[in-house]
Amino acid sequence: MNFYKKWFWPLVIPSLLLFTMVILYPFIMGVVNSFLAWRGTYYFDPDTGTRATSMFKSFVGFANYKEAFQDTRFISALVYTVKYTFIAVIFVNVAALALALMVTKITKSSGIYRTIFFLPNMLGGLALGFIWQFIFQIIFTDILFSPEALYLPFLRYMTQDSTKALFALAMLNTWQYAGYMMIIYVAGLNNISADYYEAASIDGASYWYSFRKITIPMLMPSFTIVFFMTLANSFKLLDQNVALTDGEFGTRLLAMQILRTVKDTAPPNYGKAQAQAVIFFILVAGITLTQVAITKRKEVEM
Amino acid sequence: MKKTPPITSNSMNENYFLKKKIQMAVLYAVLSGIAIYTLAPLWLLLVNSFKSQSEIISSPLGLPSEITFSYLSNAMKEINFFRALFITTAITSTSVLLIVIVSSMAAWIMVRNKSKASTIVFMCFVAAMLIPFQAVMYPLIQFFDDIRLKSATGLVLMYGGFGLSMSVFLYHGFVKSVPRGVEEAATIDGCNIFQMYIHVVMPLLKSITVTVIVLNSMWIWNDYLLPFLVIGNSPTKTLVLELYFARITAGQFGNPWQLIFPSVMVSIIPIIIVYLFLQKYIVKGISDGAIKS
Repeated sequence: MNFYKKWFWPLVIPSLLLFTMVILYPFIMGVVNSFLAWRGTYYFDPDTGTRATSMFKSFVGFANYKEAFQDTRFISALVYTVKYTFIAVIFVNVAALALALMVTKITKSSGIYRTIFFLPNMLGGLALGFIWQFIFQIIFTDILFSPEALYLPFLRYMTQDSTKALFALAMLNTWQYAGYMMIIYVAGLNNISADYYEAASIDGASYWYSFRKITIPMLMPSFTIVFFMTLANSFKLLDQNVALTDGEFGTRLLAMQILRTVKDTAPPNYGKAQAQAVIFFILVAGITLTQVAITKRKEVEM
Repeated sequence: MKKTPPITSNSMNENYFLKKKIQMAVLYAVLSGIAIYTLAPLWLLLVNSFKSQSEIISSPLGLPSEITFSYLSNAMKEINFFRALFITTAITSTSVLLIVIVSSMAAWIMVRNKSKASTIVFMCFVAAMLIPFQAVMYPLIQFFDDIRLKSATGLVLMYGGFGLSMSVFLYHGFVKSVPRGVEEAATIDGCNIFQMYIHVVMPLLKSITVTVIVLNSMWIWNDYLLPFLVIGNSPTKTLVLELYFARITAGQFGNPWQLIFPSVMVSIIPIIIVYLFLQKYIVKGISDGAIKS
């Protein structure tokens, strides 16, 4: 219709303007800057050793990328992030699916349980990180798992050891996100017609059999969403990392590594930080696209 | 799901119901256990907001020995509670309003006017969802500094930009399912585009608007990194920033729990209240959003 056509650009332009200012232009500049000796407020000219007169004089090729890959802090943050994502995705998904199966099974007061399980999502990662820091440092270490009580050395001093902190962070995030992901799984479970289960039970199928043959395949669209969200969230995690350990004891995740690179270097090496950010983008985009492609293929249309 | 018990003798029937009953009891017990685990950290937060540092360390789990509001009022002063609450509310609500208006308009007209341009624009928004914040943050801050918008106003614009992609995506999916018959009738009645948008289109998009509001408010309210980079340690700090800087300044010599607990407590009270009143819409918003995408 002509009417819509006439108004297309006037109504789209505000969004395009915001998009360009906040995402497109900074993104392009980010990629450009990762090849320059960028110091944040100015460009450095490696030939003269002073401020560059123009952006182009400060071109350093892949030097920032090379420097990033030679930085042990960056490599260890990368490895740590991959490990963390692996653990967190499993933890959150298992917990969320178990919760969803349970709250859809009960008949009374299911709403109250959902409300409680979802509650931690409303609160910020920083605030929750502070509370959990107390739990790990005082409650776990001195009370619950101390030698006088249930002695479990692995659960003590969890924020002061790189491996233990990995699990501490995963516990905190499972506690926080499982309720959110549960809501998505519940929506998926409610979409499965009860007829399938009835037919299966008439045929004498056990609970596990119908779980494997009906629930799992029918839930594939929910798996796609939840995996996408947990993968992306874990890979990009920052607030909880800052609040719980602040990257001490080799517990820096990539997001924090990019943020702190400009503090680690003097003068602040924004070019190198930006190179890490571009690598980070490629990883995030690559992983999430691959995951969506794989789970989409497994989705069944019924 | 209710399963009909198999038709057999009476005793088997009773057995079946007994088994079901036990299963249910176990289920409720497990769920209640998890609910206690979920609420335990918040319980800790509550009881320890009324204790001194030494009492927090010596008895972190128990009720406070005396009810005193001095720690809470001290924390409210420390994090400039009312000012920070006002700033956070103002920033979150203007950002969300901006996102709702801009993205609903764009998504609506993009669905109604199918063209190459509209497909390309939509694909750009979708592709942008893959860009992590870290990839753009430094050039973004630099750019906003250059154009003198490294301020609360700039922050609102940035949130507008970051919330856009997902919101356009959600609206786009929703508008497709809304028949255009009503709109055509409105044009015949002589409605102009803005009358149509406000009186015809927006009411039809109410349910997805709830989702967009919920999803965006949740992350903007609790966001730490963007205000940290834009506002930093200046007087116009948001609640999360106040909390962060209070922790940093007081925490140079160990952890000042008698300040951290009440500060966290007062900073989350507003959200808890909102959640208790609106939890139905929030949970529905989340689950609708998940199905749509």
